[in-house]
Amino acid sequence: MSEPQADFEPKIVAFLCKWCSSAGSDLAGVSRIQYPANATPITIPCTGAVSPMYILSAFNKGADGVLVSGCHIGDCHYIEGNFLARRKMHLTVELLKFIGLEPDRFRMSWVSAAEGAKFAKVVTDFVHDIEKLGPQDKLKKVVST
Amino acid sequence: MINIQDIRDTARDMLAKGEVRAVIGYRRGTRGMLAEPAFITDPEQASELVWDPTCFHNLSLYLVEDRKFLTHIRKTANAPIAVVAKGCDARSIVVLLQEHYFKREDVYIIGVSCEGTGVVDERKLAPLLNGVQATDAAFDGDDFVFTTAAGEKRLPAREVMADRCLECRIPYPKEHNVVHGEDKTGRQLAEPFAALTRFEAQSAGERWDAWSRHFDRCMRCFACRSVCPMCYCEECVVDSITFPVTPATSAEEKANRIRWIERSATRSENITYLMTRAMHLAGRCTDCGECERACPVNVPIRMLNNKMEREAREKYGYEPGASIGGPSLVASFLDSDPGDFIR
Repeated sequence: MSEPQADFEPKIVAFLCKWCSSAGSDLAGVSRIQYPANATPITIPCTGAVSPMYILSAFNKGADGVLVSGCHIGDCHYIEGNFLARRKMHLTVELLKFIGLEPDRFRMSWVSAAEGAKFAKVVTDFVHDIEKLGPQDKLKKVVST
Repeated sequence: MINIQDIRDTARDMLAKGEVRAVIGYRRGTRGMLAEPAFITDPEQASELVWDPTCFHNLSLYLVEDRKFLTHIRKTANAPIAVVAKGCDARSIVVLLQEHYFKREDVYIIGVSCEGTGVVDERKLAPLLNGVQATDAAFDGDDFVFTTAAGEKRLPAREVMADRCLECRIPYPKEHNVVHGEDKTGRQLAEPFAALTRFEAQSAGERWDAWSRHFDRCMRCFACRSVCPMCYCEECVVDSITFPVTPATSAEEKANRIRWIERSATRSENITYLMTRAMHLAGRCTDCGECERACPVNVPIRMLNNKMEREAREKYGYEPGASIGGPSLVASFLDSDPGDFIR
């Protein structure tokens, strides 16, 4: 499991806050920073709007990793959205760890609109960590044919 | 020691004076020793009420049902409804009040303290009775006395009590209109979260092995949801009932409707269901343990809720069902909330 698999391309679902991380990913793009293209971005109004259901559902539908990224504490456009997200995501990740999912499959980060380089680094590190873990098949839906 | 006559008298007086429109309590059921929920509207029926170690139902569920029914028939209540509540049940009522599900004056809480004991766990009792059916159960100090065809059997309560009662920290209904029994808060029959701590000591691989077996076993009968007073949503995320299917609905529309969770009882869907349920109960579950008792395939559902409860307690200092006016767990925050998992 710890051996990196040669032909494994991790599928990552990235929930990015509209006000910062989404703009941060834009900045990484316009700055021509090279980083893996494994993350599928989904723009959300605020990390506080991320229901734990989204994360469970992403894993259920085959994501190898889920990234939630938003504004730094104190910078939330809605004043307190990321404070609420911090609690909810902490509980979610504790529950995922509790049933035995690898903790590295979920990641949360604070990336501001000015941190294009940090966004690239977060995604690169995440992809690298998930490559070590291999495909996620614990929570993934098995479609019988 | 609670004298059942006190509870009966309270119920009879309240009904006779018309101060409450009904009393929800326990009466002797039709299945052996087990008590069943009783809905009493006639003062004469108050003598049917019982209080014994088989009164495990969380009756706050029926307050929820009552409010749903009143909404359905578009009537408002003319008097409160009285309910017999143990410590955990009273905390459930507090959570419902905190969420403004009904008003404090709509409910009259007849608190009963579990004192030094709690409710029986049938699964622990069965082997000790050697397969003989008990017809009656009674509290007696720190013992339970069971009446069987083979005579009386006295057992120390600790041996046959439900885990949730052993681990219970507050076996006393703090929120009440009238209360019977002594406040034995602070008694410690077992370490709180003992079962959870034992389970958590295992490695991630072992935990997954255990949980994957549990998740495979779940058959999605939704007994845990039906029995839970906190699962009061009109529409559950697992079965959307408001999706309108008309003759004009195309197959594509039906196929593309949002389904967070499939209804099939497969492992992945069961995980999503049970985990979502645990998340929805975070900071709301008062550990009445009814979900686990109702589960026909013995999934340790309570452990998921316990995990959330302990996180809330240790990391956020949050105690579910502690105050009616306080903020809820996920709608509040502190500057000191842990954030070390965030990059």
